[in-house]
Amino acid sequence: MKTVEKIVNPVPRAGEQSPSKIYDPRLKVRARREWRGVKDTFYDYTRWLYLVSVLVRFIAVPRNVKGFFRYRWMMSYLFVMHGMDKFTIGLRDEALRITHTSFNYVIADVTEAISKCFRGDRRVGNDKEFSDRCVITDENSMVTFMMGFDRFKNPTILREVPTMFASNIFHQFNVMHYLDIAQEYGIPGDVCPMPEAEAGISIDDDFCVLGACAVQNNTTCDGSLMGNGIIAKRLERQYGIPTFQLATPLRHKEEDVLEYAAQEIKNAIAFVEKHTGAKWDWDLYFASAKRVNESTRCRIAQLEINSTPYPQFFGAAFSLYNDTNYMGNSGRNEDFIKIDHKLLELAEKGYREKRMYAKEYRHRCIIWGVQPQYTIDMLYWLLQCWGIVPLADMLSIINTDMIAEEDTPENREQAYRDMAMLNMEMIMRNHTHGGYKVLLDDLWELCEKMNADMVMMWEHMSCKALTGMHGMFEEQARERGIRLMWVSHDLCDPRVFTRSAIRDQVSAYMRTVLREEPLDPSLEHIPDDEAY
Amino acid sequence: MKTLVKIPLMILCALLAFFAVTFTIYVFNLDMKATALLEPLLEKWYDDLPRDQYL
Repeated sequence: MKTVEKIVNPVPRAGEQSPSKIYDPRLKVRARREWRGVKDTFYDYTRWLYLVSVLVRFIAVPRNVKGFFRYRWMMSYLFVMHGMDKFTIGLRDEALRITHTSFNYVIADVTEAISKCFRGDRRVGNDKEFSDRCVITDENSMVTFMMGFDRFKNPTILREVPTMFASNIFHQFNVMHYLDIAQEYGIPGDVCPMPEAEAGISIDDDFCVLGACAVQNNTTCDGSLMGNGIIAKRLERQYGIPTFQLATPLRHKEEDVLEYAAQEIKNAIAFVEKHTGAKWDWDLYFASAKRVNESTRCRIAQLEINSTPYPQFFGAAFSLYNDTNYMGNSGRNEDFIKIDHKLLELAEKGYREKRMYAKEYRHRCIIWGVQPQYTIDMLYWLLQCWGIVPLADMLSIINTDMIAEEDTPENREQAYRDMAMLNMEMIMRNHTHGGYKVLLDDLWELCEKMNADMVMMWEHMSCKALTGMHGMFEEQARERGIRLMWVSHDLCDPRVFTRSAIRDQVSAYMRTVLREEPLDPSLEHIPDDEAY
Repeated sequence: MKTLVKIPLMILCALLAFFAVTFTIYVFNLDMKATALLEPLLEKWYDDLPRDQYL
């Protein structure tokens, strides 16, 4: 078996030694906040104050109050701070600051998205002039086709992000209602609960209704295609919002699909121009392209730090930030670059000072497969309870190539191919589709690069994209001496696999296969199944 | 002179009071505990809203 050096943290943890005491089975939230020592507790408190101020500013707008009482999913945003607590367990020093910096920015970005939704929503703000400039897209869409449009004049609204995806981060039960609605209308219960919930939201009349037009993407799976059909039908037939289907090739590693994919991008741009009256601007596009490249450089640098014995930016925050920046932003917002640089600065400082965030690092782990780690604090738990360091996850392993960023006649043609490439290699699609090279070979290469001795395979019960390769993963991991741990879940439906059921699979593997004892036994069983 | 001393003192007291109250809320997670109490009421509110369900 491949082995990695175990590293014991020479520095005692500031504040309380185990976060297990903050859980209370009688409560749906934490009993209290973690004591991280004076310096880090005060820092955490100031970030809490910042989030309170974000929420207060949001709710001070009357139409947002109206939206709050209209949409059921808005209830989840009362638990933003609870979500933050989930992703900071056991963290101190730079990792705490990195998590707050990235996550707080994502929260502020989502809050802005909700405000825009309510402003244009026919049932809430009903600002028709604003709505007629907006383009709405899927939660899992790359917005590369909007890189050449002014983000202020023509806002892109990923309508499903605040409605389903982000709200589920803060409240694990929030989509159950929508799953039930979808199933009441005959949609089978064995499709991925994410698109099924989105379909349920549409059926239940709980999406904001706005936009000059919409662009949908054939995301990654049968469930997503099904959901898009249901949502598009309502958008077009009931609300009269024209919807474009951006049909992206799934075999994205084959060169002959690129021209077709580039043509699809041209078609999407022409569609947006037609319905919003806006014109594509190459200056804006190439400015965005420069920012995409800068973000890519920063992400590569973060991964390089994580390949050393002292990783700094990891866990759900890493993945969520990359999701938001790469897919939802695509270089259009210059503020992300400032955050990228700040995060890299913090990570470099942590690396120089050899900061560790658990008593001991025993295993270096790659997280692969369709992941539910946004709704549970799994990756931080792995580190604190078992000393397993989550180095990188599948959703964060995205494009590392630079795209054309100088405005020349040749590059204008290349730009369509670049947008198509980014779109084809968007989060999820880049590894779940495209053949076994992107799912298996890329994983082993990553293990090599990151010096990982372990892979945690998330096995999503309702996902058909990965189920056929179960045996190949096992066989190839065995050949390479990699410890392969399967952990089943059902994404955002906690009724199929509770948090305890998910964690117990790890504990069973660690005890019975690896014959190890937990670093912190008090964390092995956490009473948080009923917590948000 | 008295006023000049009084104003900063009042600001300091207000800041200390603000810190004492908010830090207590933060440490004991009172914000989330209070919100959790609201949730069943909000659920009922959303259940009672008329919906135009459509497939």
